[in-house]
Amino acid sequence: MLKEDSESANGNKWVELNMGPQHPSMHGVLRLRVKLDGEIVKECEPIIGYLHRNAEKLCELDYYCDATVYFDRMDYVGAMNMEVGYLEAAEKLLDIPPPERAQWIRLIMAELNRIAAHLVWTGAFGLDLGMLTPFFYCFAEREKIQRIFVDISGSRQQLNYMSIGGVYQDINDKIIYDIEQFIDQFPKKLEDINKTFIKNDIFISRNKGMGILEPEVALDYGVTGPMLRASGIDYDIRKKEPYLMYDKVNFDVPVSYKKDNLARYLVRIEEMRQSIKILKQAIKKIPDGPYFNPKAKKPLMIRLRGDGDVYARTESSKGEFGVYLVGDGGVKPYRVRVRSPTFKNLSVAPVLVKDQMIADLIAILGTFDLVFGEIDR
Amino acid sequence: MVEVIEESIGKDGRKVIKVAKEYLIAIMKDLKSQGYDHLSLITGIDRKDKLEVVYHLHNMKEDKYLVIKTETLDERVPSLTSLYSSANWDEREQYDLMGIVFEGHPNLKRLFLPESWVGHPLRKNYDLSKVQYINMDENGDDYATFDPGDGW
Repeated sequence: MLKEDSESANGNKWVELNMGPQHPSMHGVLRLRVKLDGEIVKECEPIIGYLHRNAEKLCELDYYCDATVYFDRMDYVGAMNMEVGYLEAAEKLLDIPPPERAQWIRLIMAELNRIAAHLVWTGAFGLDLGMLTPFFYCFAEREKIQRIFVDISGSRQQLNYMSIGGVYQDINDKIIYDIEQFIDQFPKKLEDINKTFIKNDIFISRNKGMGILEPEVALDYGVTGPMLRASGIDYDIRKKEPYLMYDKVNFDVPVSYKKDNLARYLVRIEEMRQSIKILKQAIKKIPDGPYFNPKAKKPLMIRLRGDGDVYARTESSKGEFGVYLVGDGGVKPYRVRVRSPTFKNLSVAPVLVKDQMIADLIAILGTFDLVFGEIDR
Repeated sequence: MVEVIEESIGKDGRKVIKVAKEYLIAIMKDLKSQGYDHLSLITGIDRKDKLEVVYHLHNMKEDKYLVIKTETLDERVPSLTSLYSSANWDEREQYDLMGIVFEGHPNLKRLFLPESWVGHPLRKNYDLSKVQYINMDENGDDYATFDPGDGW
């Protein structure tokens, strides 16, 4: 869809190009209105809303315990992290702390899902740059995590595993064995996947020094997560404001000061290694005891009442996932507001792609880890 | 001189400051110079007789969190786009779904819904039973109708 534009700079005609919403290299339904001077991007405007369902309103119409369903459908590659984010807020508002065993199970599932989400990103980023092989390696590894999720929750993506007061179902020895098997073999596979990227000259030359995101710009636009850490700001909510049991495990936060595409790739790979480190400790630390708070048992669940307002933030695989929950003393939430990390991360895209080649636009946007269920909500 | 209406600690342990909307820009400028460099979230809440706007501010270096609340009776609030770039999309979203007009915003258009959409869905008096149909006219502009008509 080319359109000649009357605007011209130094005699050259600018061409307006619409990319998306159905474009093979756009993640989900992103549409970009790009103005080009030859092959150079002069202006870029993301247009979103093609997957908008207004999950915030849908949550208001249901009981507190029903909202996890809508949160699963936000970041659908990292559904466990979304559920953790909502329940952190809901349990604070309703004053129903989950038992310790449930918190450890949640931590394990959230970390497994973080690895799965990063694997999807790694594979798709390779595809963006024309590398087909690592995609299959990544999805083969992700499949092992999906199998574990099927065992515990019965479904692959829209898991709905956690609920107010604990988790839906206790984990047994078979699942612990499966997770241990995964932890044992994954680090070697991850190094294999990593090798296919960093030993590739084309990959390095296309990403090194591309898409520089200065830390001041990142903060100004509200960028969080691996993108912020790749710009040299050491900020991870798991460390700074620990939720679940993250203060009882030992792990490092990867930071890079190179600020470019390659830095964002390396930060995510290192995050997967750290997740394995967390899982290794967590799997040994699960205590015995109840996995559900009896105050939120099934028939009582819909009678939970909340009053006041609570903002809870968690570190999803994309960045700071915040849920602001307002109750008015009734059985349904009065207002649910979601801070989705990729929504803020995407808003910085016009700054990053300005004066870059159009082929690099795809590579730069590839490092954003866009998931449209979460941006459009 | 900034007048603070109320200062309290919320249920989640964060400090909440209530200000009149006339002083919003002044207090935000002051806070930004104190190191609150990260505007995390803007929320509009429909309190039926008035609209409440909540700002979540974050100081990355010292890791401090602050919640600023303001109220408006006439749906108008000053825009913070001159201070924080992240306010741009957040304010557009709140205008789109909640109908809060941010005065001084450079590009206050709907973000998610089509430009011709009738009403703001997150308002408490929004009629969910009414189905809207978005059509396109000859010039490529969209318009909303309430009956299916041809083509739907």
